[in-house]
Formats: sequence, C-alpha cells, structure tokens
Amino acid sequence: MKTWISFLLPDDEYKERSILYFYAEGAILLVIFLLLTIIFSNFIAVDYQLIILIALGIFGLYVVIRYSLSGMEYTEVNSEQAFKKELKLLTTKTTSFTIIFLLLYILLVEYPTRFQDLYDLVGLLCSVALVWFMIGFISLKSSYQKNKKLTD
Amino acid sequence: MKNRVKITRVMLNMTQGELARQVGVTRQTIGLVEKGEYNPTLQLCVAIAEALNKTLDDLFWEVGKE
Repeated sequence: MKTWISFLLPDDEYKERSILYFYAEGAILLVIFLLLTIIFSNFIAVDYQLIILIALGIFGLYVVIRYSLSGMEYTEVNSEQAFKKELKLLTTKTTSFTIIFLLLYILLVEYPTRFQDLYDLVGLLCSVALVWFMIGFISLKSSYQKNKKLTD
Repeated sequence: MKNRVKITRVMLNMTQGELARQVGVTRQTIGLVEKGEYNPTLQLCVAIAEALNKTLDDLFWEVGKE
C-alpha cells in the first residue's frame, strides 16, 4: 500500500504493522485528550501552549513506551552474550551523548558562571540521560526475553 | 495460525537467521510466524514457501479444515 507515512516505518512487515498500531492507538488517545480539553475549557481557564505540549507528550510517550515494551527493537539479541554487548553499547551511547551535549552547551550556548547554573545544567542532563538509558534498557530486556522464547 | 514452517526449515538444516535473510525480514518475525503468534501477509508466505522450496499448501494449510 502506498502511503506518505512509509518513511517512518521499518522494512520488516511485523514491525511495520505493529508500529502502525502504536501510531493509531496514540492518535486515538490524542483525540480523546483534545475532546476532553474542549469540554473542560468551558469550565476552567486553559493554557493552550501547555495543552499542546501535553498533547504532543501523550502521543510521543505512548508510542515510545509501547515500542519499548513490545520487545521488537533488538531483533537479533537472543543470547546472554549479545545482551551484554548491546547493554555495553547502550551505556557508551548514553555517556557519549551526555558528555557531547554538555561540551556543546558550554561552548555554543552558555558557559555557566555560577555554581547553581552548572548544577541545574548537569542535573537536567543527567535526568535526560537516565530516562534515555532506562527506556533503552527496558526495550533491550523486553527484546531479549521475547527473542529467547522465539529462538529454537 | 498453525503452520509447518519450523519443521520444514529444520528438515532443511536452515537456521531462523538464514531464512530471515532470504525472505528479507528479521529473525524475530520468523520466530513469531513459526510459533503462530503472527499471521504473515500473503507476500511473506510466498517468500517463505519459495525459500523453503515448498508450496503454500505444504506450509500453511491446516489438515482437517477442508
């Protein structure tokens, strides 16, 4: 089937179909949230900028969480050795991202002059890195468990 | 959907990975098809049948449902 969304979909047909379901489920949740917002906006003052951010968050988070829990990201990880290798790679990627982002921020955006600024920046960066690592780890663990059951 | 993909593949001494590469999907997809946890498209059924040198009936037709 020809569709403009193809560029967001993988080649593998099982993954393609599953991800389409996740997008569709996320879109329905988004519509429900927006309908509820319209109804409640008659009774309470609504900050539309915040509502748009929450709506995007609902869709994005839903798709990411469903994808991570589905165990379809790491299709080739079916042994303890492969699991450890991918875990090491994930740790390296997360650490590299944190260091590169911190350096680029200091070089291009702002050099934190006060201790409080540096503390805020490092705290935010560590939180993002931790969430990223946790999502990756959950996805890896789910994939490993799923693949173990499917491998002969 | 029950099928005879796994038994046929094992008889041909082929691994899941080899079959996956031949039909252009992931090893996980082959595993799901073999376990009957994913119903493949007709296109994938044909590709699997060709890779295993069998007909669709040989692999996917359930005896007793005729």
